[in-house]
Formats: sequence, C-alpha cells, structure tokens
Amino acid sequence: MTTLDGLAQGLEVALQPSVLIYSLLGAVLGTLVGVLPGIGAMAAITLLLPITYYISSQAALVMLAAVYYGAQYGGAVASILLRLPGTPQAAVTTLDGYPMAQQGRAGVALFTAMISSFAGSMLGIVMLVVLAGWLGRLATSFGAAEYTAMMVMGLVAASTIGEGRPAKSLAMVVLGLILGCVGTDVNSGAQRFTFGQVQLMDGINLVALAMGLFGLAEVIGNIRKAERDGPPPRVSLRQLVPARDDVRRLFAPITRGTLLGGFFGALPGTGSTISSFLSYAMERRVARRPERFGKGAIEGIAGPEAANNSASITAFVPTLTLGIPGDPIMALMLGALVIHGIQPGPMMLEANPGMFWGLVVSFGIGNLFLLVLNLPLIGIWVAMLRIPFRWLYPAIIVFVCLGVYSVRGSTFDIVMVAGIGAIGYALSVAAFSPALLLLGFVLGPLIETNLRRAMLISRGDPMIFLERPVACGFVIATLALLALPLVGMIRARRAARA
Amino acid sequence: MPGPISATTPDWHDLAWGAVLALTGLAVAGYAALHYEFGTLRRMGPGFFPVVLGLGLAGLGLLIAIPARNRPGQVRPFAWAQAVGVIGSLLVFGLLLDRIGLMASTVLCVAISSAVAPRGGFLWRAVLTVAVTALVWLLFVAGLNLSIPVWPWSR
Repeated sequence: MTTLDGLAQGLEVALQPSVLIYSLLGAVLGTLVGVLPGIGAMAAITLLLPITYYISSQAALVMLAAVYYGAQYGGAVASILLRLPGTPQAAVTTLDGYPMAQQGRAGVALFTAMISSFAGSMLGIVMLVVLAGWLGRLATSFGAAEYTAMMVMGLVAASTIGEGRPAKSLAMVVLGLILGCVGTDVNSGAQRFTFGQVQLMDGINLVALAMGLFGLAEVIGNIRKAERDGPPPRVSLRQLVPARDDVRRLFAPITRGTLLGGFFGALPGTGSTISSFLSYAMERRVARRPERFGKGAIEGIAGPEAANNSASITAFVPTLTLGIPGDPIMALMLGALVIHGIQPGPMMLEANPGMFWGLVVSFGIGNLFLLVLNLPLIGIWVAMLRIPFRWLYPAIIVFVCLGVYSVRGSTFDIVMVAGIGAIGYALSVAAFSPALLLLGFVLGPLIETNLRRAMLISRGDPMIFLERPVACGFVIATLALLALPLVGMIRARRAARA
Repeated sequence: MPGPISATTPDWHDLAWGAVLALTGLAVAGYAALHYEFGTLRRMGPGFFPVVLGLGLAGLGLLIAIPARNRPGQVRPFAWAQAVGVIGSLLVFGLLLDRIGLMASTVLCVAISSAVAPRGGFLWRAVLTVAVTALVWLLFVAGLNLSIPVWPWSR
C-alpha cells in the first residue's frame, strides 16, 4: 500500500462522526489539563483509560492521543501567564514567556506558542509517516536479540539522558522491571510475588500503578504549591496579533525545533521534555545576541514549543512500529492498544492499516481543532486559571477511585492505588523519577520474554548479542550511554582538584 | 521546590532511599531464589529474571546511598498533612464503598481530602462536598449506569 492510499484510508476512518467527536473531546480535555497546573497529561490519560473500555478502539486511541498533544498546547498558557508550567514540557516556556507577559506582550507570547505548536505538529506528522514506513520495514528483520538489546538501550537512554542522578534513574527502571514480574509467569505458569492474592495473578494493574504514581503524587505535591499569589493578566484577541518583526523571527526557530524534536521523539527513551530543553539550548547558542534569552526572546518560545509538539507526534513511531514505548505516556498508549486487542509492532501497518492511518490523519485534524479553537477561546482558558486548585483536587480524587474501580469492579485496586500513591509521593519528594518506574514496568515482561527467546535460540550463548550486527550496535550504544555519566563525574573531579 | 543546600547534613533522602532500595533488592532476589526455579542461561526459569534484577537493584541502592553519606543534602519539604489526607480519603473510599455505598463514601472522601487544603473555612468545603457528590451521581449513576452499590441499603 502506498502512503497516498494509506492517507485516503486514514481520512475515511478519521472523518467518522464518532471519531471526530472523540478527537475534539480529547483536544479540549487535553488543553484543559495542560492549562491547569497540577494535572498533567499523564494523569489525565490515566483517568480516561477506564472510560475507553466503553468506546471503539479507534475512537479511544484518537481521544487519548489528542489529550496528549492538546496538553502541549495548554501547558504553555500557565507557563506564560503565571510562570507555572502546566506540563513538564512547558517548563522551558516560562523562561521567556513569563518575561514577555510582564512586558505586556502575553498575547504575542501565547500566539507564538500556539502557532509554533501547530507547525511543529504538522511537520511532525510528515516525519511520522516517513519514519514509520522505514522503521517498520527495518523492524521486520529484527529478532528476539535485537528487540532485547533495543529495549535495554531505550531504558538506559531514558535514565542517563534525562534529569537527575543516573543511579537513581536506573534504580527506578529496575524497580519497575521487578514490579513487572508480579503475576503469572507466561513461560512456566509459576505465580511470582502474588503471595496467594488472587487479585495479583494478572499482575499489578497498569491503571492502578499509573494513577498512584502520577495522579495521586501530583495532587499531593500541588495542594500547597498551587495556591497562587495573584490572578493571571487578562488577554484580549487583539493582543494576540504579532508584529511583523516577531513573525520574521519565528521561521528559523520553528524549523530547527521541529527537526530536533522529531528526531528525539522518534528515539525510544528520549521524550518531548528533553527535546524542548535541547531546543532552548540550541536557540540560545545560534542566537546573534544570546543575552536576550530569559528576558523575553520570542525564539525561546517558538523553538521549544515546536520541538515538544513534533516530538510528541514522532514518539508514536517506536510505539506503533516496534511496540516499544519511548516514554511513559507512550507506555500508557501501548497499554491502551493492547487492552483493545491490537498488538503494535512491525505487523501493525499491515494487520491494522485503518488504525494506523486513522491515527495519523486524526493527528492533523486534532491539531487543526486546537489551533482554530484555542486562539479565539484563549479568554476561556485564561479564566480557567482562576479556579483555585482546592476546588479541583477532591473531585480528582473521587474520579481516581471510580476510574480504578470501574476497570474490574474491585475495591482492592483502590486500596492498592492508595499504597502506590504514598510510595510514589515519597519517591518524587526524594527526586526519584516515577515515570521511569512506569517505563520499566511496561517494558519488563517484553524484555524478559525476548531475552528468554534469544537465549533459547543461541543455546545459552550470550555472544548472540555481539554476533548480530544490529544487536551489537544497540549493545555498544547502551555501554556508551552508561559511560556518559562516568565521564562527566571524572571531569567534575578533575575540575574540582585543579 | 528544593530548599537551601546545607553543608552540614548528609543527603538524608538519598541515604534512606538508597538503603531501602538495596534491602528491597536483596529481599526480592532472596525470595525469588528460594521459591522459584533459577534455570540455566539456555532455559531460564521463572526465578532468573527476578534474582538478577533484585541483585541489580541492591547494587544501585548502594551506589545511591554510599556517596550520599558525606554529601550536603537539600532540604525538601514533605507535605505530611496533605499526603495523609489524600491517601486516607482513598483508603476510606476503598474500604467502605462495598459497605456504605457510593454516595456516602463520596461524601466522606471529599470531606477528608478537602480538610487538608491550606485555606480555612467550613462553608466552601460543604458546598464542594455537595457539588462533587451530585456530579458523581449524575455522571456515574444516571449517566454511565455503573454497576456499583449506590446507597448503604442497596447492596
């Protein structure tokens, strides 16, 4: 099937009225959670996951994806107006967005964020189509050894490239892998770590784990923090219109940000947050007058906003073509696909073309919704920022309880979420990344199955990972990623001694 | 929000969590080694993966704890009251739902969780409790028709 046939088929799927409605719903909900500091895309998608049991798989995936990229739009609003990032990806946008708002240019900053997000997403879709076809073909030549090595590389990349101490990040990944072992072992049927509890035989519930780690921990951490000092400034439509000089400054940062975000989004292990930080660093480096950054440079909004949207689109490449989620949100998407009986992987393009192309086309439609809705509705989003968090979080907690309960009608799961939430909050206070724990949890069973298969094929000879060139490449990359923090440490020691 | 760096204290967070993770890793590896078949490299048993991971976690826990002994740590505020309120409201909801029904457990859950908000006053909490309970009834009972005991007597 050619790309054009695919797009035509995707258009047919994405234009079904029910799919359109869920795409719109997801885009609006995503913007809402992005705008409101204290509920991230992660928590929102987890909350919606149980609801998707009741709708068609296409509508479900389209809606969850729209929440994800919609949150990228919304996240910028609170960053610019209140210096409170609505999402982690939007943290960079506070650096120049808030100073612009203080100079009375909040409208232009918001316009820049939205138009850059839109451009980044649209170009990201093109990259998604090109990369997915290419990677899908490459992936059909992958065996168990390649899969194992690639997933291990993804996990190591996520722990060493991201923020925080690498040992702490790796520990979270390993803890996640261990939690993934709970339940019935597929190979032998042995009950692992179930301690006789029937509820644990299917393993720890993904929804319960994600809600505890993200929903609850985020709520607890934000109750005190989110009582803000002042109301956000008012923004009128006329203020959104940028000057000609502003427009001229947008093109290059958007292009650079999109390419950078598209590249890093497609790699497993790196996500949209890292892309937006890298894009900011790049813009400052290429700028003729870098001292403007941090004081309201429009490039400092355009580049990162384009980058994180482009990355959040291309993040679907490894998820859909390899079945390997690059970040925790993609891990949830993978979970949602599997719940709906769709196995992502190299065969998905052939086995489920309607799903794949429908999703691709819906990205375009959803982003169009976001652009035409968000510019005129900006006043409503700004008004949303006036709702104090104390009105929201008790309702969120009740929804968490009911969301978890509705998955399989078990109050045991609600109690489990409470326990996971307590641990998750304590971990996040100590600067451990719960996102990496979830990534390990989702990839754990896949890695174990592929590792066992690879060792069976090679008759117990671990050399299989070095003899096969692609697998060997992944192993070398993994070792390099592990060495990276060591090199940094040695350098810091030397610098301290000198 | 990370607090000021104090030069005298060890990094308590990393020290404590490093130790906890190391012990957890050892416990996982030990339990798996005793209860599940380890197997061989060629034919891995159900114990292989957990034992290796448990030992890995133990090593990483030590890597976190040992350098933290004589490193100045950051003082990070822990929202005790908020954590207890939120976790407690979930426990109450989970443990009582089957016994007292959806409406009563929602009222309790909202009342407990809103009690730890940093703003005083009784009226707004009462209004919020009524509003959320009504919303839950509209969405989950009238709208989605969730199969759940609604009232204490409707079991």
